[in-house]
Amino acid sequence: MKLSDLKALFDRADHCAEEFYNAPYRAAIARARREQDDLFMLLVFSEMMGVPNPVSYYTLELQPILLERFHDWHQRMGMEHSPLDHIKCC
Amino acid sequence: MSHLTDKRILLVGGKGGVGKTTVSSALALLAARRGKKVLLVSTDPAHSLADAFGCRIGDNITRLIDNIDGLELDPDREVDQHLERVSAQLKRFTRPEMYGAIEKQMRLTRQSPGAQEAAMLERIANTLTLGLKEYDLTIFDTAPTGHTLHLLSLPEAIAAWTQGLRNANQRSEKLAEVLEHLTPKAGRDIDNPLSDPKEHATAGMDARTKAIAETLLTRQRLLQRTRELFQDSEQTALLFVLTPEKLPILETIRAVKALRQEKLPLTGLVVNRILPEDAGCDFLAQRRRQEKIHLQQIDQEFADLPRYPIPLQATDIQGIEGLNSMADLLKNAGL
Repeated sequence: MKLSDLKALFDRADHCAEEFYNAPYRAAIARARREQDDLFMLLVFSEMMGVPNPVSYYTLELQPILLERFHDWHQRMGMEHSPLDHIKCC
Repeated sequence: MSHLTDKRILLVGGKGGVGKTTVSSALALLAARRGKKVLLVSTDPAHSLADAFGCRIGDNITRLIDNIDGLELDPDREVDQHLERVSAQLKRFTRPEMYGAIEKQMRLTRQSPGAQEAAMLERIANTLTLGLKEYDLTIFDTAPTGHTLHLLSLPEAIAAWTQGLRNANQRSEKLAEVLEHLTPKAGRDIDNPLSDPKEHATAGMDARTKAIAETLLTRQRLLQRTRELFQDSEQTALLFVLTPEKLPILETIRAVKALRQEKLPLTGLVVNRILPEDAGCDFLAQRRRQEKIHLQQIDQEFADLPRYPIPLQATDIQGIEGLNSMADLLKNAGL
């Protein structure tokens, strides 16, 4: 067995250990991030839920950027179908 | 001696019909006489600047007389352009059969409350930048009080809101970085000596997040700059126009309070259309008695603000000539 093979083996073991120990934290952080993103979406799209948004005119230009996340978001928010007239994602 | 016209930005406000446009036009003439290059901007959707000067102005910078350019801001044009940009973006993401729905939504947004104001604010902010760059003095002939007050407090409201959005977005980015750190570098640098470790810093941040951050940041900067300029008493002066009548006084009391709350540099009141002493006849004498009471009230209420009295003129103030005599009156009043 060559030295480099041994090194690769250790690397792989290290990788697995890291994966194992980090997994619970990763899930928590990922959830926190998603919640943060959901809050952001809520702020941008608040108007359609009846929350007045003082800058709805300015957030309008964010809507195209957020479009891809939109479907997952409105489902998480408990809306089965897209509540926006101009975005029919499902 | 320093004049009010030495400032860089002058905002003229007041109730509808008290003579804001005449006062701001005459101020422009006065400043031009003192050798300033002036940009006179009307932000009232019902423009009357063109009527005062007796020429067409519109939403393009128009030379009125030597050293004075005029501009009548049209928020509709701004709204249209903004919505066009957004709908073009949206169309890239949806199927062609949805285009109709997008158009309809944009038409509705056009009428939504706040759209016009937001667009006007953006125009004002951009005009301000231009005014500071190319002119000595920019005079804003603003819309009637309620509107103006709202417009002046809008930068703060919007800046606070965008700051909130940015914070949410930034926290998300931070968490993404942590997540990146916790994720084993699977398949990237294990057994892969070719990958460059420096790339990781930006690899996690997608173009979308960057676009959001940039959009928010640009607008926030613009609005904060506008707000700071408006509050800077070195560069900006706010002049309120009122007439010695009940309603304008009451409205001005409210406005002065609101402006102080917003920490805007209110520098004085122009008390317009005071009846001259020598005007005879019983009817006018009676009017003058009534007016005395109002003037006293003005002196009482606004004791701590400089007041500039302007007498009522026998004829309408119109054209350059009329405005020039008005400029004389303003100068005599101490402006």
